[in-house]
Amino acid sequence: MAVHILGIRHHGPGSARNVKAFLEETNPDVVLVEGPPDADHLLEWSNHEELKPPVSILVYESENPKKAVFYPFAEFSPEWQAIQYAKRNKLPLHFMDLPLNHQFALSNIAAETDSQSAENSDTNGNNADGEPSEGLNNDITAEYIDPISLLAQAAGMDDGEKWWEQQFENRIDNHEVFEAVREAMQVLRETLPSKENKLEQLREAYMRKVIRQVEKEKFQNIAVICGAWHAPALNDLKNTSKADNEILKGLAKVKTECTWTPWTYNRLSLYSGYGAGIESPGWYHHLWNYSEDDGTRWFVKVAKLLRLKGMDVSVAHVIEAVRLTHSLAAIRKLSKPGLEEMIEATLVVLCSGESILLDLIHSELIVSDCIGTVPTEIPKPPLQLDIEKLQKKLRLGVSAESKAYILDLRKDNDLEKSIFLHRLELLEIKWGNKQHAEGKGTFKEQWTLQWIPSLAIDIIEKGSWGNTLEDAANSFVINKSAQSDSLAEITALLEGSIPAELPKAIDALILKIQNLAATSGDVIQLMKAIPSLVNVSRYGNVRKTDADLVSNIAKNMITRICISLPAACVSVNEDASAHLLELVFKLNDSINILSDQDIFVQWQQTLSSIRRNHNSSPVISGYTTRLLYDQRILTGEQLINTFSYSMSFANDAEKAASWLEGFLKGSGTILLVDSALWNLINNWVADLSEEVFVQVLPLLRRTFSEFTNSERRKLGEKAKDGNILTNKSNQKPSEESFDFTKAKKGIPVVLQLLGIDQTKVNI
Amino acid sequence: MSNFLREHAEQLYAQELEELIKQDSDKKPFNWKLSPQSVVTYLIGGKLKNGFEISPKYIGNRRLMEIAVATLTTDRALLLYGLPGTAKSWVSEHISAGISGDSTMIVQGTAGTSEEAIRYGWNYARLLAEGPSSNAIVETPVMRAMKEGKIVRIEELTRIGSDVQDTLITILSEKTLPVPELNSEIQAARGFNVIATANNRDKGVNELSSALKRRFNTVILPVPDSIDEEIDIVKRRVESFEKIMELPAEPPALQEIRRIVTIFRELRSGISSDGKTKIKVPSGTLSTAEAISVVNNGLAMAAYFGDGLLNASDLAAGIIGAVVKDPVQDKIIWQEYLETVVKPRDEWKDIYRACRDLL
Repeated sequence: MAVHILGIRHHGPGSARNVKAFLEETNPDVVLVEGPPDADHLLEWSNHEELKPPVSILVYESENPKKAVFYPFAEFSPEWQAIQYAKRNKLPLHFMDLPLNHQFALSNIAAETDSQSAENSDTNGNNADGEPSEGLNNDITAEYIDPISLLAQAAGMDDGEKWWEQQFENRIDNHEVFEAVREAMQVLRETLPSKENKLEQLREAYMRKVIRQVEKEKFQNIAVICGAWHAPALNDLKNTSKADNEILKGLAKVKTECTWTPWTYNRLSLYSGYGAGIESPGWYHHLWNYSEDDGTRWFVKVAKLLRLKGMDVSVAHVIEAVRLTHSLAAIRKLSKPGLEEMIEATLVVLCSGESILLDLIHSELIVSDCIGTVPTEIPKPPLQLDIEKLQKKLRLGVSAESKAYILDLRKDNDLEKSIFLHRLELLEIKWGNKQHAEGKGTFKEQWTLQWIPSLAIDIIEKGSWGNTLEDAANSFVINKSAQSDSLAEITALLEGSIPAELPKAIDALILKIQNLAATSGDVIQLMKAIPSLVNVSRYGNVRKTDADLVSNIAKNMITRICISLPAACVSVNEDASAHLLELVFKLNDSINILSDQDIFVQWQQTLSSIRRNHNSSPVISGYTTRLLYDQRILTGEQLINTFSYSMSFANDAEKAASWLEGFLKGSGTILLVDSALWNLINNWVADLSEEVFVQVLPLLRRTFSEFTNSERRKLGEKAKDGNILTNKSNQKPSEESFDFTKAKKGIPVVLQLLGIDQTKVNI
Repeated sequence: MSNFLREHAEQLYAQELEELIKQDSDKKPFNWKLSPQSVVTYLIGGKLKNGFEISPKYIGNRRLMEIAVATLTTDRALLLYGLPGTAKSWVSEHISAGISGDSTMIVQGTAGTSEEAIRYGWNYARLLAEGPSSNAIVETPVMRAMKEGKIVRIEELTRIGSDVQDTLITILSEKTLPVPELNSEIQAARGFNVIATANNRDKGVNELSSALKRRFNTVILPVPDSIDEEIDIVKRRVESFEKIMELPAEPPALQEIRRIVTIFRELRSGISSDGKTKIKVPSGTLSTAEAISVVNNGLAMAAYFGDGLLNASDLAAGIIGAVVKDPVQDKIIWQEYLETVVKPRDEWKDIYRACRDLL
C-alpha cells in the first residue's frame, strides 16, 4: 500500500504537468484533491464537455450567500489535471480539505467573539466588505510565499515566485520532483517558527483523516494532491490519528450550497483586486499547451497581436526576438527563457524600446481575457437559470471583455434588452453600466456590459426574492420601498422601475409616494423628488408605461410645494439657502419641462410671494426676481424699483451681495445679450455716487467672480464701450422697413423644418 | 600614471580585464575576449572567485546590461537610446572594451558625417598614381572592425543624414562591405557588431529608416531611479576625475554631492523632493553627467582659487551654468526655484547666498 503525496503550487503549469505524468506512471486507484468536500457531488460534472476552464467551484452559506468562497480551476491547475485524470480512468475522487460548512461556522463564531476588535483577521478570507476570496490562493499568501522566498534567497535569487518557477515549473525533467518539494517544505516547516494557526491545524488534521479513511476502504495506491506547504504534514498518518480525532470532534456546522460558475483569467491574475493569485495566467496557459515551445510560438502570437493593432512586425523580428531570449537565458544561466526574458526581448526587438505597447501585450496575452463555460444542466438556483435563459434569448453574450451596446428603444428586441438590464440594475446585479447616449431623443440607451465572476454570488444572493427576474425585481423593489421613508429614495426607485417595466412595483411605489407626499411637511424632500418624477413622465412616449399617472402626481406635489415654499425661504442660513437655491433652480427646470399652464400660474404666484416677502432669503429672493423677469411678469419700472430697493445702501451689505448673486445666477451670457438687463445694472451703477460705489464695489466683485473668465472679459469690454442704452433686440421692427414679400419666401422652409404640411396652412 | 589626458577603458581597467580573462570559465563567442557573463560582471562590478574586486562601470539595472550584451551575441546590432548624459557612450565604450578589448573603433556621427567616414575613402594620391587597388583604400573604423571581428561604435547615429545612415544596412544585414571599384568585398569576421548611440532629446535629428531600425535592438537607458543611485554615480565618477587630474583639493563631502544631485533631480522632474512643491522645468537636460561635471568644476575651483575645500560658492557658478541654458526663460525658472525651494531649507543657506550673489 502506498500513499503518494504530491505537493504542488496552485495554478502552476509545471506542477500540473508533473502531476499528470506522475499519475499516469503510478496508476493510483483513488485520487484525493485539496478542495472542499462540500462540493464532492459537483465532481461528477467535471468531465462534462461543456465545462470548460477557467471555471470555479462556488461554495456559499445557504443562509447568507454573501459568505462565499471560490475554488477556481484553470486548465493548467494541477488539481484540474488530477480531477480530469481520475474522471478519465473512472477512479474514485474526493476533495479532502476541511469542509466549508465547518470553516464558515468557525469564522462566524470568530466574528462574533471578535466583533469588538477593529481588525477582523478573518482567516477564512472573508474580508469586511463581504467579498469572497479564492480558497486555493489563500494558501499562497497566508503561509506560502514567505518560506519560499527564504529558499530563493538561499539560492541567490530575490523573488520566491521566480525561483519556484525556475526550479519546479520550467523544469523539463521531473524525476522525483515531488520528493524534493516535500523535503524542502519539511525543512522550512521545521526551521520556521510555526504559527499557531488553529484553522491550519484543523485543515491538516482533516486531510489526514480523509487519507486514513480511504486507507481503511482498502485502496492500495493513493494519490494526494495538495499545496506544497501541506505535503510534509500529511506524511505521518499513524501517530497523529488520536490527536486529529480529538481536535475534529464536535466542530460547529452550517448549511452550505455549491455550484460551478464560469471564471476568468483576469480574476486569476494579481491585479483584479483579490491580492492573491497568479500574475500571468495567459502565459501559463501557453506554457501548459506548448511546454516545448522555445519562445517561437509565443513571439508569433505577440507579433500577430501587434499586427492586429497596426504595428509592422516582420518574421525577421520574431526570429531576432527568439534569438535574444536564448542569449539572455544563457547569460543568466537559465535552462530555458522565462516570461521575463520574453518581455525584455519583446521590448527591445519588437517595440523599439517603447514600453507603451507592452501594456497591450500584458493585458491581451500575458493575462488574457478568457472566460470559461459551465453546462446549462448543472443544478443552479432558479433565478440564475432565468437570467441565463434571458441572456440567451436576448443575445447578450457573457464576456470578460467590456462591450458596448446601443439600444434603440423603438425596436422591440432592444426594448426587451433594456428592460432586462434595468431589472438587473434594480436588483443591484452590476453587469451592465448605463451611460449617457449621444444624440438627442429619449429612445436611445447606451450600455457597457462586462461580466465579472462575482456577479454569480449576487445572483444567488438575490435568488431569495423570486424565481424569475421579473418576480425578484418586483419583490425586491417593493420590499425596499416598504423600508424607506425618504421621498427622494422612493422616486429614484420609481425612476429605475419604469424603464424596468415592473407594474406591480410601480403601483406600490406610486401609492407610497402619494402617501409620503401627503404626510410629508418637508418641502425640501418634495422638491428633491420632483426632477426624477418629471423625468419619468417624459419616458411616456417611448416606454409603454402610464406616464400620465406619474405626471399627475408630480403636479400634485408641485402644488404642495408652491404652497409651502415661501415659508421655507424665510430665515434660512447661508448654506441652507444655497442648497435651497439649487433645488429651486432644478424645480424651475422641471416645471418648464412639464409645460402645464396651471402649474405655471401657480409657480409664478409662488415666486412673486417669495419676492415680496422681505424676510425671504436674499439669494433666493434675487433669483426669483430674475425668474419673474425672465417670464416677463416683472418688467420696466417695477423691476428697476425692485432692483434698486434690494441693492440700496441701507441694506446689509452681505444681504445685498447675496441678492445680486441670486439675481445674476448663471447669467453671465444673458447679461451680455439682454440689453434690458444690461441697462438695468449699467444705469444703477452709473447712478451711484462715488462714495457709495466704492462701498458696493466688493459686492459686485463677489458676484461677477462667479462668471467665467471669458464672460468677464466680454462684460468688461462691453462696459468700456460705453452706455448702450438702445435695446436693439427688443425693438419691434417698424412697419415701414419691413419687407413682407421677402419674409414670405422663407415661410415654406420654416414650415418644412417644423414638419407642418404646407397645403393645410393658410398663410 | 599615464601621460594621456583620458585613457581608454581597456587601458584604465586593464588589470580588471586581465583578471576577468583569467577567471573566465564560461563559453566565449568566437573572437570575444570575455564570455557574455564576464562582460556583464565587468559592467556591473562584483567579486571574482579569487577575491578580486571588479569596480562597477554602470550603476543601475543589471538586466539592462544583460539585454545589451545578449543582443551583441545575436545577429542584431545594439542601439543605446536615451536622454543626454545617461551614460550611453560610457556603456558603449565599456561594452566594446569588455568584448573586443578595444574601444577605439569609433565613428562620431554628425550632420556632416559622409559615406566615406562609414564605408571607406580613397587615398587620392595613390589612386591617381597606382589606379584603384586595395592599397589606395582608406579604411574606416567600421571596415577595420569588420576585418578584425571587433565591435565598432557609432556615436549619435541619429545626427547622421538618412542617406548616410542607410549605408549601414548592407553591413548589418549581409555582414559585408562591397567595394565595387575593386569588384571585391570585405566580409565581416565573426565577432563583428555595431553599438550605436542616439539621444531622444535633440531636435533636428534624422529618424532611422524602418529598414535600418529593424537591424537594431533598442535598449533605452533611463535616468537613475533613486537619488542614492545617482549620488553613487556622481561620487564614483568624481573620484576617478580627481585621481586623473591630481587636484590638491579634499574629496567632496557626500553632503555636497547630495545637494547637487537633489537640485538636478528636482529641476529635471519638476517636483520638489518632498513631493510638495511644483517646480518649473528648465530647458537644459540636467543629466547625471552634468552633475558630475559641476562637481568636478567645483573641485577645480576649490583647488586652484579656493581654500582646497569644496564649498557652496565653488559650486554655484557651475550649477547656474548647467541650469540656465536659455538666458531669459531659464533664469526666471532658476530664480523662482531659488526663492521657493532653496531658500526655506535651513541647511542650504550657504548655497542660496552663493547663487544669489551670482545672479
